[in-house]
Amino acid sequence: MYAQLFTFGAAFLGSAVESVEALTIVLAVGLTRGWRSSLYGTVAALVALAVLVVLFGQVIVARVPESTLKLVIGTLIVLFGLRWLHKAVLRSAGVVALHNEEQSYEETISELKGAVRQDWVAFTICFKGVFLEGLEVVFIVIAVGGTSKGLPVAIAGGLLAMIAVAATGVVVRKPLAQVPENTLKYAVGIILTSLGTFWAAEGMGASWPLDFVSIFGLAAMYFGASRVAVMVIRHPVVARPA
Amino acid sequence: MKFLRAAASEVIGLFVADWTQTIVSVLILGAGWFVLSRVHQNGVAFIVALALAAQLVFATRLEARRRA
Repeated sequence: MYAQLFTFGAAFLGSAVESVEALTIVLAVGLTRGWRSSLYGTVAALVALAVLVVLFGQVIVARVPESTLKLVIGTLIVLFGLRWLHKAVLRSAGVVALHNEEQSYEETISELKGAVRQDWVAFTICFKGVFLEGLEVVFIVIAVGGTSKGLPVAIAGGLLAMIAVAATGVVVRKPLAQVPENTLKYAVGIILTSLGTFWAAEGMGASWPLDFVSIFGLAAMYFGASRVAVMVIRHPVVARPA
Repeated sequence: MKFLRAAASEVIGLFVADWTQTIVSVLILGAGWFVLSRVHQNGVAFIVALALAAQLVFATRLEARRRA
């Protein structure tokens, strides 16, 4: 039950963040170049991503032994989660600027102004944007779904997030600048790093006390460490001269 | 070709933001695996988790200093 909940939550939140970034690109291209080619590019990218999920998801679940799967995928999830957490800590501490969807939107529009007015430009930009942003979603869905034996739950989480973001985009027709992206990335970073540590250790042959409940303890520990990191960066200890 | 290169760097970028941090994390996990396969003590898993958390604090502090 907890495993399925974590799998769904990680897939949903991770996909939501990346979908917001993809939506910004599609909106910028669609509103300046027209919707037909932009939507073709988006759909083509989504089909390519779905093929990747089905292909790699099935191969991983059916062919790789469980302990190897947990060790390898667990390690990759730890690296992936730590990367997001690292960035979220630097943003929370004010070292790196927060991601600004309105700025990304304006940048994409200014890039398009110099391009030749042809349909394939809109198609290519949308395909590239959605496909590259979607690769992170594919990894999260396959990794958390494959390792916890809950691939359908992870796919459902990812799909639901994409539909929710796309529906919001259709209604508001502007970049979703109000979505707290850093907070979402922070939360997903903690969830993924905890899940990855849990599975990697199980793949090494360790067993956790209270089984899946230990993930809450790991999440609390990583959250604590990240807050310490933010505090240390904001208030550095300066050595006094003797 | 340009798109394939972008996709490849995107895939590597999924796991690597800072090579030093990635190598340290892999070394921590590798050391944990090595010790666990010989000692068979579940406590090693907690030490691995603590080491990963500590390296997060260390790596972010280091990058913040570098950017300052």
